[in-house]
Parts: sequence; structure tokens; C-alpha cells
Amino acid sequence: MVNIRRHQHRSKPTLLSRLSQGFRAWSRRHVYSFFSSLGTLVRSPLGTLMTVAVLGIALALPLGLWVGLNNIQQVNPATDSLSTISLFLTAGATQDEAEKVASEIQAWPQVESVISLSPADALTDFRENSGFAAAVDALTENPLPWVLEVQLLDTNEVNDDTGELLIRQQIEALLERLQAMPTIDLAQYDMKWLERLQALMGLGATIGRLLGALFGFAVIFVVGNTIRLDIQNRREEIEVMSLVGATEAFIRRPFLYTGFWYGLLGGIVAMSLVSISLLLINLPLQRLLLSYQSQFELLTPGFIGGLVVLAGGGLLGLLGAALAVRRHLQNLNPV
Amino acid sequence: MIRFERVSKRYPGSVLALSDVNFHLATGEMAFLTGHSGAGKSTLLRLIGLLDRPTGGQVFLDGRNLARVSRRKLPVLRRKVGIIFQDHKLLSDKSVFDNVALPLIIAGVRYQEIQKRVSAALDQVDLLRKVRSMPLALSSGEQQRVGIARAIISKPPVLLADEPTGNLDPDLSADLMTLFCRLNELGTTVLIASHDIALIEQLGRRVLILEQGSIKSDA
Repeated sequence: MVNIRRHQHRSKPTLLSRLSQGFRAWSRRHVYSFFSSLGTLVRSPLGTLMTVAVLGIALALPLGLWVGLNNIQQVNPATDSLSTISLFLTAGATQDEAEKVASEIQAWPQVESVISLSPADALTDFRENSGFAAAVDALTENPLPWVLEVQLLDTNEVNDDTGELLIRQQIEALLERLQAMPTIDLAQYDMKWLERLQALMGLGATIGRLLGALFGFAVIFVVGNTIRLDIQNRREEIEVMSLVGATEAFIRRPFLYTGFWYGLLGGIVAMSLVSISLLLINLPLQRLLLSYQSQFELLTPGFIGGLVVLAGGGLLGLLGAALAVRRHLQNLNPV
Repeated sequence: MIRFERVSKRYPGSVLALSDVNFHLATGEMAFLTGHSGAGKSTLLRLIGLLDRPTGGQVFLDGRNLARVSRRKLPVLRRKVGIIFQDHKLLSDKSVFDNVALPLIIAGVRYQEIQKRVSAALDQVDLLRKVRSMPLALSSGEQQRVGIARAIISKPPVLLADEPTGNLDPDLSADLMTLFCRLNELGTTVLIASHDIALIEQLGRRVLILEQGSIKSDA
């Protein structure tokens, strides 16, 4: 008792000094928890490695899908082809007929320009660019028809959400009208495959979100279970800390930190896995695209993406740990 | 400092461990608690150390009714009581230093201060040279003294000891009692559960004798 009295008599602490003293004690306790949680991970490196690997793979799957979708989205087909209708004339159509049709269509208000491509030009073009030169040379006659490329007006509004329906209707009407013309064999609008692609991408994005949510839960549960085992293994330590006057928050804190570390490390592993995969994919992909004469820069998750993955992983880990701690440290106080 | 009023304790599914226990231990007093094993000594200490709550009656520590202490306040109040456990309760994966430092770490004391005080506490139990050892590398008696160093490091106003001399040879036991007496002289209230009758009689302090959960004699 003497000790306490002596302490009280020594000086009457002001509220401010007591607050700052309390804060310093609080931060010292945090520093302790911080290092003690890292110590837990370092003490069992193999177990930590395996947990982190599982978390990394779980996070890498949705991340990889997301990066993949971003890359496909990037392959935006040349926007002008969106507003282009290709007209394939009937096989026997002559240059005169083709020019006549072209000038007729040119006069329509929705049309900006019409470019005509003769069968000979088309064949030359095909011979040079397709890589089927030998096959083309073997042809005795030109099988290609006249082609008219109809460039429509208002290209900018094609992608506009609200205007899309109206324009689509206009284009449908236009297509019908073109298809009805006797010299035209086929009026083809390239929107169809783009719509399909976009629908596919939408599907992919939904699956990605779903997977993200699922694997997010997986991360929470994996961390939760690991922390639960950790708590069980350290029953003795928890009991002793509680006996010598540790608050519940103090006992809880290292476990929460550990969960955060697991998530963060899992995020780092996921980022590494995806980055390495992209590196591995890049070379064969460039080779493939070269054969299509296409230039393409592979998108990576980037700095912001990486930050999101790390922070997300950390938060999920923290959440998992919080759940485990809530569930298994409930009866911490023996009283 | 410690007051029991009609305290009883029944563990679920067993007989009454304590029944109608009344006594008062003044601030700065030193007393022994003795009786056969199973007489309720450990239970009584656990009630003072806030490791258990009584099923009947009231326990007062430093004027506070422990029944009225909320769970949140419990840990802070627990720091006022240093407890030396029969089975030491050391952390086997932490060094002697870390074990002894634990109460100070929990209280958020500065590291330099912790170092100083751990050295002082270990010096008092004559174990300073083992500061870097792991508990399992120590003898049972040494482990006991580590537990004592941990109990006294935060200079609690109350010190409880459950069979502190159980594993010690007579010389060490006598040394230990001298240490308890010294702490008591500095103002610490000390309650020691022990059945080392010879040692207790030698010291001539107050002795509470428990028998089947009740205090049979208080002298």
C-alpha cells in the first residue's frame, strides 16, 4: 500500500499529463502487440508459408480474372467499325451497278460516306494481309464480290447509353432497307459480334464479382480458422496474461494483427502470382497477336490495383481474425 | 485490505469449497493460510485474486466490493494483486526476462524502465544470472522464483502465494520467507497458503486454519 500512497503524494498529475501518459502507455502496448504478432508468424515459418500460399491463391483467382477482363476490354475494336455497315453486292454486280448503289446510298441523311472496294482490290488486300497468298494465287477467278463500306453519321453517340436504343432502331431500319435493295446480297452490321462480346464480358465481370465474393469469404474463413488454432495453441499464454491483469483488448490485439498480416501477405502473394503469370503469358500472346498484325500492351493490375489487393487482403484477414477472436476469446475472464 | 463476509463458494457439480468464511486482513498485515489439501486454500486465494467469484457472501479488496466490479474493470484491479501460483504458470516459450516483464508490458511501461525493474526483481529472488534462460531449462525451485519475481515486479499492494515453498529445499524456503517478510515490511499485504507448519510457527505470524471450507482457527 505504501508504494501506491507514495506515488499519489509525489505529484498531482494534471488531466493533460495523465492523458499523454495514458496515450504513451497505449502506444507502447500497441508496439508490443505489433511485434509479438510478427513473432508468431516468424516462429512457425512453414505453417505461415502454407496459410499465406492458400490465401494468395484464393486472392489471385479473382484478381487474375479481373485483370483478364480489363485486358479484353482494352481490345476495343476500332471504334469506326461500330458505325460501319458492310454491303456485299450480288456476285455478278458490275462496277456501274456498284457505283450507282453507292451514290444512291451516299444521298441518305444517316450516311456520312461510302467507300467502294472492287473485287480485285479486295483480293489483293486479302492476298497481302491474310498469309494465304499461295491459295489466292491458285484461284482461277476472283470469287469476291463488290463491297461497299457505309460509314454512318453520329459515330460518337453509338456508345452513348441513352441514345443507343434509338440509334439501334435507326440502324435496324437502315439495314432492312439496304437488304431489300436488289443489288445487295448481304448488309452486315458489325454491332452483333460486339454486342455478343460485351454480353460475354458482362457475364465474365459478374462471374468475377461472384468469385471475388466467394474467395473473399474463403480468405475470411481461412484466416479465422488459423487464428482459432493459434488461440487454442496459446491457451496457456492467454490464461497467464489474463491472470497478471491483461485487458481483453490487450490479449485480442496480437491475434488481430496476425490476421491482418496473413491477409496482407496473401495479397502480396496474389499480386506476385498474377504479375508472374502475366509475364509468362505476355511473350506467347505477343507472338500470337503479331500473326494477327495487332499491337497490344498487356495491362497489369497497376499501382492502384495492387494497393486495393493489399488493403483488401489485409482487411479480410483482420475481419477473419476478429470473427475468430470474438468467437473463441469470449470467456477470457475466468470470472 | 482484504475482508471476507460470509463467503461461500460452490463449484458446479461438487461440494462446497468454502462456506461462511469471515476474516479481515489489514493493510500491511502478513498472514498464513493453512489446512489440509482440499480444505479450500486455493479457492480462497482465487477469490481474492479475482480469478473466481464467490457464490455467496462478499469479498472486499482495498475497500471495494468485488461483486460490484464490472468485467471491464477486472483486469486493472487484478494488477493490484500479485499472485504466486503453485504450478508457477510461466510461459514456456518466453525467456525469464519476458516472463517477469509481462505485468509491466501489459501496463505499458517504458522498455528502459522494464529492463531496470526486471533486473531488480530477479536480483531479489537471486536469479539475475538466469535472465536470458528459458523456464524449462530451470529447476522447479528456480521456476518458482521466476514466478515470484513476476508477482512482485509491479509492486502490487497485495501479494498472494499458493504453496510457494512446496518445491524448495529448507534453505531456499527460509530465504523466500525472509523475502516475503521484507516485502511486508515495505508495506505489502501478504497472504501465504502453505502447509509447512514448522516454517509458519518459526515466523510467529497470524495463521488462519481452514478445515473443510471453513475457518477453524484464526490466531
